[in-house]
Amino acid sequence: MNFLTSLEESAFGVWVSTSLVGYPLMITLHAIGMAVMVGISVALDMRLLGWFPGIPYTAINRFLAIAWIGFTINLLSGTALFCMQATMYVQDGTFLLKMTFVLLGAVTAAFLQGALNRNSASWGASAPGGIRVLAAASIVFWTAGMVTGRLIAYLV
Amino acid sequence: MDSVYDWMVQTPINGLVMGYPWTWPALETFHFLGLCLLIGAVLIMDLRLIGFQSTIPLRAVHALMPVAIVGFCVNLITGLGFLFGDPHLYVINYAFWVKMGLVFLAGINFLFFYFKVEPRLERLGPHDATPMIAKTVGALSLVFWFGVLAYGRLLPYLGTGGG
Repeated sequence: MNFLTSLEESAFGVWVSTSLVGYPLMITLHAIGMAVMVGISVALDMRLLGWFPGIPYTAINRFLAIAWIGFTINLLSGTALFCMQATMYVQDGTFLLKMTFVLLGAVTAAFLQGALNRNSASWGASAPGGIRVLAAASIVFWTAGMVTGRLIAYLV
Repeated sequence: MDSVYDWMVQTPINGLVMGYPWTWPALETFHFLGLCLLIGAVLIMDLRLIGFQSTIPLRAVHALMPVAIVGFCVNLITGLGFLFGDPHLYVINYAFWVKMGLVFLAGINFLFFYFKVEPRLERLGPHDATPMIAKTVGALSLVFWFGVLAYGRLLPYLGTGGG
Protein backbone atom coordinates (compact mmCIF):
# COMPACT_ATOMS: atom_id res chain seq x y z
CA MET A 1 0.00 0.00 0.00
CA ASN A 2 1.21 3.52 -0.81
CA PHE A 3 2.99 4.96 2.26
CA LEU A 4 0.98 8.18 2.30
CA THR A 5 -2.31 6.32 2.08
CA SER A 6 -1.22 4.00 4.88
CA LEU A 7 -0.59 7.09 7.04
CA GLU A 8 -4.07 8.39 6.28
CA GLU A 9 -5.67 5.04 7.06
CA SER A 10 -3.62 4.30 10.18
CA ALA A 11 -5.42 4.22 13.51
CA PHE A 12 -3.80 7.52 14.43
CA GLY A 13 -4.62 9.20 11.13
CA VAL A 14 -8.23 8.11 11.39
CA TRP A 15 -8.45 9.28 15.00
CA VAL A 16 -7.19 12.79 14.15
CA SER A 17 -9.59 13.03 11.20
CA THR A 18 -12.75 11.69 12.78
CA SER A 19 -12.68 12.11 16.54
CA LEU A 20 -14.36 15.10 18.13
CA VAL A 21 -11.17 15.88 20.02
CA GLY A 22 -8.36 14.98 17.63
CA TYR A 23 -8.43 17.74 15.03
CA PRO A 24 -9.26 20.68 17.35
CA LEU A 25 -6.61 19.46 19.80
CA MET A 26 -3.96 19.24 17.07
CA ILE A 27 -4.68 22.65 15.56
CA THR A 28 -4.70 24.25 19.02
CA LEU A 29 -1.34 22.68 19.86
CA HIS A 30 -0.11 23.84 16.45
CA ALA A 31 -1.18 27.43 17.18
CA ILE A 32 0.54 27.33 20.59
CA GLY A 33 3.76 25.89 19.18
CA MET A 34 3.74 28.49 16.40
CA ALA A 35 3.26 31.39 18.82
CA VAL A 36 6.08 30.12 21.04
CA MET A 37 8.57 29.36 18.23
CA VAL A 38 7.90 32.37 16.00
CA GLY A 39 7.25 34.77 18.87
CA ILE A 40 10.46 34.01 20.74
CA SER A 41 12.57 33.69 17.57
CA VAL A 42 11.43 37.06 16.23
CA ALA A 43 11.98 38.80 19.57
CA LEU A 44 15.49 37.35 19.81
CA ASP A 45 16.22 38.20 16.17
CA MET A 46 15.22 41.78 16.99
CA ARG A 47 17.73 41.68 19.86
CA LEU A 48 20.47 40.57 17.44
CA LEU A 49 19.48 43.47 15.17
CA GLY A 50 20.11 45.89 18.02
CA TRP A 51 16.81 46.36 19.87
CA PHE A 52 16.56 45.74 23.66
CA PRO A 53 20.30 46.16 24.27
CA GLY A 54 19.95 45.36 27.98
CA ILE A 55 19.44 41.65 27.29
CA PRO A 56 22.85 39.94 27.33
CA TYR A 57 23.71 37.78 24.30
CA THR A 58 24.42 34.90 26.66
CA ALA A 59 20.80 34.94 27.82
CA ILE A 60 19.34 34.54 24.34
CA ASN A 61 20.14 30.84 24.03
CA ARG A 62 18.22 30.00 27.20
CA PHE A 63 15.09 31.48 25.69
CA LEU A 64 15.79 29.81 22.36
CA ALA A 65 15.53 26.52 24.25
CA ILE A 66 11.91 27.44 25.01
CA ALA A 67 11.40 28.26 21.34
CA TRP A 68 12.60 24.76 20.40
CA ILE A 69 9.96 23.30 22.71
CA GLY A 70 7.40 25.19 20.59
CA PHE A 71 9.03 23.83 17.45
CA THR A 72 8.81 20.28 18.78
CA ILE A 73 5.13 20.73 19.64
CA ASN A 74 4.59 21.82 16.03
CA LEU A 75 6.65 19.00 14.58
CA LEU A 76 4.45 16.49 16.42
CA SER A 77 1.09 18.24 15.89
CA GLY A 78 2.06 19.01 12.30
CA THR A 79 2.80 15.33 11.66
CA ALA A 80 -0.59 14.45 13.10
CA LEU A 81 -2.32 16.97 10.83
CA PHE A 82 -0.28 15.76 7.86
CA CYS A 83 -1.45 12.20 8.47
CA MET A 84 -5.05 13.26 7.90
CA GLN A 85 -4.50 14.17 4.25
CA ALA A 86 -0.96 13.13 3.42
CA THR A 87 -1.59 12.56 -0.30
CA MET A 88 -3.16 16.00 -0.69
CA TYR A 89 -0.47 17.84 1.25
CA VAL A 90 2.52 16.49 -0.66
CA GLN A 91 0.96 17.85 -3.86
CA ASP A 92 -0.01 21.21 -2.35
CA GLY A 93 2.40 23.96 -3.47
CA THR A 94 1.44 26.27 -0.61
CA PHE A 95 2.15 23.53 1.94
CA LEU A 96 5.50 22.70 0.34
CA LEU A 97 6.40 26.40 0.33
CA LYS A 98 5.51 26.61 4.02
CA MET A 99 7.70 23.60 4.82
CA THR A 100 10.58 25.23 2.94
CA PHE A 101 10.27 28.42 5.00
CA VAL A 102 9.95 26.49 8.27
CA LEU A 103 13.05 24.47 7.42
CA LEU A 104 14.97 27.64 6.55
CA GLY A 105 13.82 29.26 9.79
CA ALA A 106 14.86 26.27 11.87
CA VAL A 107 18.27 25.95 10.22
CA THR A 108 18.92 29.69 10.68
CA ALA A 109 17.87 29.50 14.34
CA ALA A 110 20.17 26.54 14.94
CA PHE A 111 23.06 28.33 13.24
CA LEU A 112 22.48 31.52 15.24
CA GLN A 113 22.33 29.45 18.42
CA GLY A 114 25.71 27.92 17.63
CA ALA A 115 27.24 31.30 16.81
CA LEU A 116 25.89 32.73 20.07
CA ASN A 117 27.40 29.86 22.04
CA ARG A 118 30.83 30.15 20.46
CA ASN A 119 31.42 33.82 19.75
CA SER A 120 28.99 36.20 21.44
CA ALA A 121 31.38 37.08 24.26
CA SER A 122 33.44 39.04 21.73
CA TRP A 123 30.60 40.88 20.02
CA GLY A 124 30.36 44.08 22.03
CA ALA A 125 27.51 46.50 21.52
CA SER A 126 26.36 45.23 18.13
CA ALA A 127 26.51 41.79 16.59
CA PRO A 128 28.64 41.19 13.47
CA GLY A 129 27.11 42.09 10.09
CA GLY A 130 26.70 38.48 9.00
CA ILE A 131 24.78 37.64 12.18
CA ARG A 132 22.50 40.63 11.68
CA VAL A 133 21.76 39.53 8.10
CA LEU A 134 20.83 36.06 9.36
CA ALA A 135 18.65 37.54 12.10
CA ALA A 136 16.78 39.61 9.52
CA ALA A 137 16.48 36.56 7.25
CA SER A 138 15.12 34.55 10.18
CA ILE A 139 12.33 37.10 10.69
CA VAL A 140 11.48 36.86 6.98
CA PHE A 141 11.50 33.03 7.02
CA TRP A 142 9.25 32.65 10.07
CA THR A 143 6.82 35.33 8.86
CA ALA A 144 6.64 33.73 5.42
CA GLY A 145 6.17 30.31 7.02
CA MET A 146 3.26 31.60 9.03
CA VAL A 147 1.64 33.44 6.14
CA THR A 148 1.88 30.45 3.78
CA GLY A 149 0.61 28.21 6.57
CA ARG A 150 -2.50 30.32 6.98
CA LEU A 151 -3.03 30.47 3.22
CA ILE A 152 -3.01 26.66 2.75
CA ALA A 153 -6.71 26.63 3.53
CA TYR A 154 -7.43 29.31 0.93
CA LEU A 155 -5.19 28.35 -1.98
CA VAL A 156 -6.30 24.79 -2.69
CA MET B 1 -29.32 44.26 20.51
CA ASP B 2 -30.69 43.94 16.97
CA SER B 3 -30.08 47.62 16.33
CA VAL B 4 -26.40 47.26 17.31
CA TYR B 5 -26.11 44.30 14.96
CA ASP B 6 -27.87 46.22 12.17
CA TRP B 7 -25.50 49.14 12.67
CA MET B 8 -22.42 46.89 12.58
CA VAL B 9 -23.33 45.28 9.27
CA GLN B 10 -23.76 48.71 7.69
CA THR B 11 -20.29 50.01 8.57
CA PRO B 12 -17.51 50.43 5.97
CA ILE B 13 -15.54 47.69 7.74
CA ASN B 14 -18.32 45.25 7.04
CA GLY B 15 -18.31 46.41 3.41
CA LEU B 16 -14.56 45.73 3.16
CA VAL B 17 -14.93 42.25 4.60
CA MET B 18 -18.03 41.21 2.68
CA GLY B 19 -17.02 42.90 -0.56
CA TYR B 20 -13.58 41.41 -1.16
CA PRO B 21 -12.64 37.72 -0.85
CA TRP B 22 -9.10 38.44 0.39
CA THR B 23 -10.00 40.68 3.30
CA TRP B 24 -10.75 37.85 5.71
CA PRO B 25 -7.53 35.85 5.01
CA ALA B 26 -5.54 39.10 5.23
CA LEU B 27 -7.14 39.88 8.61
CA GLU B 28 -6.37 36.35 9.79
CA THR B 29 -2.75 36.57 8.65
CA PHE B 30 -2.17 39.84 10.50
CA HIS B 31 -4.03 38.47 13.54
CA PHE B 32 -1.59 35.53 13.63
CA LEU B 33 1.42 37.84 13.23
CA GLY B 34 0.13 40.06 16.03
CA LEU B 35 -0.40 37.12 18.34
CA CYS B 36 3.15 35.87 17.72
CA LEU B 37 4.56 39.27 18.67
CA LEU B 38 2.34 39.42 21.75
CA ILE B 39 2.95 35.85 22.94
CA GLY B 40 6.69 36.00 22.22
CA ALA B 41 7.22 39.19 24.21
CA VAL B 42 4.84 38.16 27.00
CA LEU B 43 6.42 34.72 27.29
CA ILE B 44 9.94 36.15 27.69
CA MET B 45 8.82 38.83 30.18
CA ASP B 46 6.63 36.48 32.23
CA LEU B 47 9.21 33.69 32.34
CA ARG B 48 11.71 36.21 33.69
CA LEU B 49 9.15 37.41 36.27
CA ILE B 50 8.57 33.83 37.42
CA GLY B 51 12.31 33.47 37.89
CA PHE B 52 13.61 31.85 34.69
CA GLN B 53 17.01 33.28 33.73
CA SER B 54 17.06 35.54 36.77
CA THR B 55 20.54 36.79 35.87
CA ILE B 56 18.93 39.00 33.22
CA PRO B 57 18.03 42.40 34.71
CA LEU B 58 14.25 42.84 34.89
CA ARG B 59 14.60 46.24 33.29
CA ALA B 60 16.21 44.70 30.19
CA VAL B 61 13.35 42.28 29.65
CA HIS B 62 10.83 45.02 30.34
CA ALA B 63 12.04 46.68 27.13
CA LEU B 64 9.99 44.08 25.25
CA MET B 65 6.77 45.73 26.42
CA PRO B 66 6.34 47.83 23.23
CA VAL B 67 6.52 44.64 21.14
CA ALA B 68 3.68 43.15 23.18
CA ILE B 69 1.66 46.34 22.86
CA VAL B 70 2.15 46.50 19.09
CA GLY B 71 1.07 42.86 18.82
CA PHE B 72 -1.97 43.54 20.97
CA CYS B 73 -2.98 46.61 18.91
CA VAL B 74 -2.65 44.70 15.62
CA ASN B 75 -4.95 42.04 17.06
CA LEU B 76 -7.39 44.56 18.45
CA ILE B 77 -7.72 46.15 15.00
CA THR B 78 -7.95 42.87 13.08
CA GLY B 79 -10.28 41.51 15.76
CA LEU B 80 -12.63 44.44 15.21
CA GLY B 81 -12.39 43.61 11.52
CA PHE B 82 -13.67 40.08 12.21
CA LEU B 83 -16.35 41.29 14.60
CA PHE B 84 -17.74 43.98 12.31
CA GLY B 85 -17.29 41.75 9.27
CA ASP B 86 -19.50 38.99 10.60
CA PRO B 87 -20.95 40.00 13.98
CA HIS B 88 -23.53 37.25 14.16
CA LEU B 89 -20.81 34.60 13.90
CA TYR B 90 -19.25 35.81 17.16
CA VAL B 91 -21.96 37.18 19.41
CA ILE B 92 -23.78 33.83 19.53
CA ASN B 93 -20.58 31.92 20.34
CA TYR B 94 -19.89 31.45 24.06
CA ALA B 95 -16.21 30.73 23.24
CA PHE B 96 -15.86 34.27 21.87
CA TRP B 97 -17.11 35.72 25.15
CA VAL B 98 -14.80 33.48 27.17
CA LYS B 99 -11.90 34.64 25.01
CA MET B 100 -12.85 38.30 25.50
CA GLY B 101 -13.20 37.68 29.24
CA LEU B 102 -9.67 36.25 29.33
CA VAL B 103 -8.35 39.29 27.40
CA PHE B 104 -10.07 41.50 29.99
CA LEU B 105 -8.51 39.52 32.86
CA ALA B 106 -5.09 39.73 31.20
CA GLY B 107 -5.57 43.49 30.95
CA ILE B 108 -6.53 43.82 34.63
CA ASN B 109 -3.53 41.65 35.53
CA PHE B 110 -1.27 43.91 33.47
CA LEU B 111 -2.65 47.09 35.06
CA PHE B 112 -2.13 45.57 38.50
CA PHE B 113 1.44 44.73 37.51
CA TYR B 114 2.09 48.21 36.10
CA PHE B 115 0.71 50.22 39.03
CA LYS B 116 1.28 47.94 42.02
CA VAL B 117 4.06 45.46 41.31
CA GLU B 118 6.52 47.21 39.03
CA PRO B 119 7.28 50.09 41.46
CA ARG B 120 8.33 47.45 44.00
CA LEU B 121 10.52 45.67 41.46
CA GLU B 122 12.34 48.90 40.62
CA ARG B 123 13.48 49.15 44.21
CA LEU B 124 15.03 45.67 44.14
CA GLY B 125 18.77 45.19 44.01
CA PRO B 126 20.35 42.91 41.37
CA HIS B 127 20.56 39.94 43.74
CA ASP B 128 17.22 40.26 45.49
CA ALA B 129 14.72 37.49 44.98
CA THR B 130 11.64 38.23 42.91
CA PRO B 131 8.65 38.81 45.22
CA MET B 132 5.93 36.17 45.18
CA ILE B 133 3.38 38.70 43.93
CA ALA B 134 5.49 39.30 40.81
CA LYS B 135 5.78 35.56 40.17
CA THR B 136 2.01 35.19 40.58
CA VAL B 137 1.28 38.03 38.16
CA GLY B 138 3.70 36.52 35.64
CA ALA B 139 2.16 33.06 35.93
CA LEU B 140 -1.40 34.40 35.64
CA SER B 141 -0.42 36.41 32.58
CA LEU B 142 0.76 33.24 30.85
CA VAL B 143 -2.39 31.36 31.81
CA PHE B 144 -4.63 34.16 30.53
CA TRP B 145 -2.83 34.77 27.22
CA PHE B 146 -2.46 31.09 26.32
CA GLY B 147 -6.13 30.70 27.22
CA VAL B 148 -6.92 33.52 24.78
CA LEU B 149 -4.89 31.72 22.11
CA ALA B 150 -6.57 28.36 22.73
CA TYR B 151 -10.13 29.73 22.79
CA GLY B 152 -9.38 31.85 19.74
CA ARG B 153 -8.22 28.83 17.79
CA LEU B 154 -11.20 26.79 18.92
CA LEU B 155 -13.83 29.44 18.14
CA PRO B 156 -15.17 27.62 15.05
CA TYR B 157 -15.37 24.32 16.97
CA LEU B 158 -17.03 25.35 20.20
CA GLY B 159 -20.06 27.68 20.36
CA THR B 160 -21.22 27.23 16.79
CA GLY B 161 -21.54 23.47 17.13
CA GLY B 162 -18.84 22.43 14.67
CA GLY B 163 -16.85 23.88 11.76
